[in-house]
Amino acid sequence: MLGRKGKLAEVSKDMGKLSPEQRGVVGKLLNAAKQTLENALTERKNAFEAAALAARLEREWVDLTAPAAGAGLGSLHPLTQIQAEIEDLFVSLGFTVLDGPEVETEFNNFDALNIPPDHPARDMQDTFWLSNGHLLRTHTSPVQVRGMKKLGPPLRMIAPGRVFRNEEVDASHEHTFYQLEGMMVDKDVSVAHLIYFMKTLLSAIFKRDVTVRLRPGYFPFVEPGFELDIQCLICNGAGCPVCKQSGWVELLPCGLVHPNVLRLGGIDPEEYSGFAFGLGLTRLVMMRYAIDDIRQLQGGDLRFLTQF
Amino acid sequence: MKFSYNWLAEHIDGLTVPPAEIGKLITMKTAECEGVEAHGAHFDHVVIAKVLTAEPIPGTHLAVTSVDTGRYGVKQVVCGAPNCRAGILTAYVPPGHLGVTTAKLRGVDSDGMLASAKELGISAEDEGIIEFAEGEPGSAIPGCTADTIVEIDNKSLTHRPDLWGHHGMAREVAAIAGRPLNPIAADLPAGEPAVEIEIRDPKLCPRFSALRFENVTVQPSPLWLQQRLESVGLNPINNIVDVTNYLMAELAQPMHAYDAAKLQGGKIIVRVAEEGEPCPALNGQTYTLDSSHLVISDAGGPVGIAGVIGGGPSAISEATTTILLEAANFHAASIRKTSTKLKLRTDASMRFEKSQDPANTVRALARAKWLLEQVSPGIRLVGGLADLYYPLPEVAPIAFDLDWMRRKLGKPDLTAAEVTGILTSIAFGVTEADGHFTVTVPSWRATKDVSLKDDLVEEVGRMIGYANLTPVPPLVPSVVPPLPPERAYLRGLRQLLTAQGYTEVYNYSFVNEAQAAELGLPIEDHVRVVNPIAQGQELLRTSLLPNIKRNINDNAREYESFRLFEIGKEIHARGRELPEEIPHLAAVSFEKHGDGVANLFELKRLAGTIVPGCTLEPVEARPFEHPFRSANVTLRNEPIGRLFELHPSMVEVGRAAVLDLDLTRVQALRTAAGKYKPLRRFPTSAFDLTVPTAERELAGTVLGFIREHSGPLTLDVRYLYDYKGDKGRSMTFRITLGAADRTLTGEEVTAIRSQLLAAVAAKYQ
Ligand SMILES: [Zn+2]
Repeated sequence: MLGRKGKLAEVSKDMGKLSPEQRGVVGKLLNAAKQTLENALTERKNAFEAAALAARLEREWVDLTAPAAGAGLGSLHPLTQIQAEIEDLFVSLGFTVLDGPEVETEFNNFDALNIPPDHPARDMQDTFWLSNGHLLRTHTSPVQVRGMKKLGPPLRMIAPGRVFRNEEVDASHEHTFYQLEGMMVDKDVSVAHLIYFMKTLLSAIFKRDVTVRLRPGYFPFVEPGFELDIQCLICNGAGCPVCKQSGWVELLPCGLVHPNVLRLGGIDPEEYSGFAFGLGLTRLVMMRYAIDDIRQLQGGDLRFLTQF
Repeated sequence: MKFSYNWLAEHIDGLTVPPAEIGKLITMKTAECEGVEAHGAHFDHVVIAKVLTAEPIPGTHLAVTSVDTGRYGVKQVVCGAPNCRAGILTAYVPPGHLGVTTAKLRGVDSDGMLASAKELGISAEDEGIIEFAEGEPGSAIPGCTADTIVEIDNKSLTHRPDLWGHHGMAREVAAIAGRPLNPIAADLPAGEPAVEIEIRDPKLCPRFSALRFENVTVQPSPLWLQQRLESVGLNPINNIVDVTNYLMAELAQPMHAYDAAKLQGGKIIVRVAEEGEPCPALNGQTYTLDSSHLVISDAGGPVGIAGVIGGGPSAISEATTTILLEAANFHAASIRKTSTKLKLRTDASMRFEKSQDPANTVRALARAKWLLEQVSPGIRLVGGLADLYYPLPEVAPIAFDLDWMRRKLGKPDLTAAEVTGILTSIAFGVTEADGHFTVTVPSWRATKDVSLKDDLVEEVGRMIGYANLTPVPPLVPSVVPPLPPERAYLRGLRQLLTAQGYTEVYNYSFVNEAQAAELGLPIEDHVRVVNPIAQGQELLRTSLLPNIKRNINDNAREYESFRLFEIGKEIHARGRELPEEIPHLAAVSFEKHGDGVANLFELKRLAGTIVPGCTLEPVEARPFEHPFRSANVTLRNEPIGRLFELHPSMVEVGRAAVLDLDLTRVQALRTAAGKYKPLRRFPTSAFDLTVPTAERELAGTVLGFIREHSGPLTLDVRYLYDYKGDKGRSMTFRITLGAADRTLTGEEVTAIRSQLLAAVAAKYQ
């Protein structure tokens, strides 16, 4: 119809036989008809194409509720998470983060912390002794010694890490656990500072206002030494099974750094004083997630680990 | 350590703090109280009763009795004790106490119980029901009273030798309660020393004191003494031994009673043992001693291991009529060494290793004399006190200023009167003028506990109560230190791994010998634990892989597929030096089904993500690796780790690919981004090249060859795909060429291509 040999072309071929007036009218009509036909054609074509596209897309239906290929997100160990959180908190308070070795010298682990050989306090920490004459550190406190020598006064440092006690393992006892040692040395650091600091810190860790209390505790590397209790977060001090009805939960040992320890770290105890504390990261993780079996933390069971 | 409230109260004038509150007070001011328990509450209800009749119940060992209980009337009680018979006086427990209920036994009603000394909590005696020589039915058990036991955590008493006895704890409670402490008399009649004493090394034994008694009657102690020992966890034995134990629990002074008739010669010698010298002890064991042990010896040899245990042959027996009573003082570390070495922890050694007060020996002997006269009627002292004493150097008076104490505690309103009052209440001697203090230390605190002014901060602080300090914010520095680079790196790495789908595990630093052997790790390379208490802790890990292998098999039981990683330290021995601790990453990709290839390449991609630019170099497999699937991970020709499939025989099911990276090396080889390279302005040319190779030719080798032979204008050589046919394998590569300053001409490209083709043809037919 629209081609060179189509019907409309035949009509226009005969146009020469018409008068100029008629030719004008027919020409117009012819153009209009051509336009109409062409429009109709484009429309049809578009419709066909649209239908074809729609049909193709329809065939491309996908079930988006089916699982994605490849690996999902993995999880960080809860101890890694809490450690990072607490490190950040301390760094914002001006503390340097230090590392210490898992295998320590007897001197750094005990003697430098005012626990000489045959001191009964050595019994407080059942020790793994090693064939090379050294030991697995029983606490992160030896990093205090390294820190004092490395940083010099005034100083603020923390040392998170793995520590070891030669104990039988059960649901609430582990031979391997995580601590975070903290130390601040400056002029005129007092017990009142320690109380304020620990209260602030623990409130940040537990993300709520906590009430703390100090009571005497014996640790040879601090004098005076304290056990710090927090008011039970479950019963708010009213008494419940978690706090054994006392309203308080023992949380961490702390104290003013013993002058002998400062001296061994190369710091003059007449000029400087400091406080130190040992935060049990394993304990915090268990409290936060209500974990009732400590062995799960190092059991490598993905059913447990993928929950964090 | 258990403390009896009644016992404490005997030492304090007018104690009004009720038993229920005393535990909390001690916890807040002195030492950690682990529990407060009623003890012997039944003594308010148990009475003496007379058995009127006792008829056996046929076919049983039981008897039905009728007993006159005085205040409860006549009761019918069924009793199974062999000594239950008409006419005796015994103890009657009414229903509602000690778990006794009204019951039917073998069809016979029983209203209450006749009790043994053990059931009453007086002693361990449980052969039969207790018998009394005299007493009125209905009256209370003589000497036995309801009490409250306060249990204190031993660890919190480590530094306080004085608190290993009731008198010392009573001093604390008296100070806390604001009441006076009753003094203990230490008077002994003068007389010729009853025994000669020789101390060979006064450092190991600063003091040895003794008394001799004759006309001794060895018999059970009166019930009050038995009950008191029992209440604090000590077993009553006989009146003489009980007195020594009583004083140990009261004054923290361990004592020992010898049967004087069994001692040879007139002299007691305190000396170190000879090598291999045997000492038969009163627990029935014979200990072989050496020169690190201190002994008490007579002319015939050791009669006791000093401060730990007495000898067997000279122990008190029923035949004993004369005794030598020892109260001595020994060097703490020496006692601890001996008791650790002999694995013999006794109530005596536990006290001596806390550095006991040498001034205590004579006081304990004086108190013992007073007590022995009550429990062994007719006993007589022979001669006077034997006492050899080498006083320890005195602790110098401690000086400090009030202002210093205020600053240490953070209590600016602390007054001199408060400090003086507190220190005086716990027996320190105080002189003070204008805030300058000079303090003398009582002998029982001077052996180790208190010698510095800092020690006094604790005394003042705890008695004021730490709750009475106003918290003060410490100054915060304006400079915040950055996280150390290593820590920051490990944090980023962990984030990357979890984003790639890996879950973090923590494993122990230990492996056992079987685990190490299984992986062919030489046992002798490991640092060994010398005193493991559990299996599986013999060695420190020189590789994360033994425990990772365990993780794989454990989780394979639960999952079709999983990914996990651990970042931990390998511990490598360096002789007597501290070992080298190297942080490693171990990552695992596991699939229960399939051929395992995808897991290997997934980990290869992970390695490239962690260490961009690293390459793999196939190497000979270790025994635990798949023999044809293992490679070194290298960066700039330095090995930084290993990628392999765990030998299929090592996994119970499935395939596990493992990536093990040495993170110290990885970090050391990291390079910071340098100056940027300007973007290319001229177009590049590329052509593909197919190389026929042997079946097991390595793509990496061919690619390296091409790169080497394609000239300096080669920008990139990329492996595209391969084809495996009958004759071998052919690999197709795309080579991209370009120059920084111009567009390469067709001739240049052709020349490079021809040159490369020739080289490839020469090498790979
Ligand atoms: Zn509670």
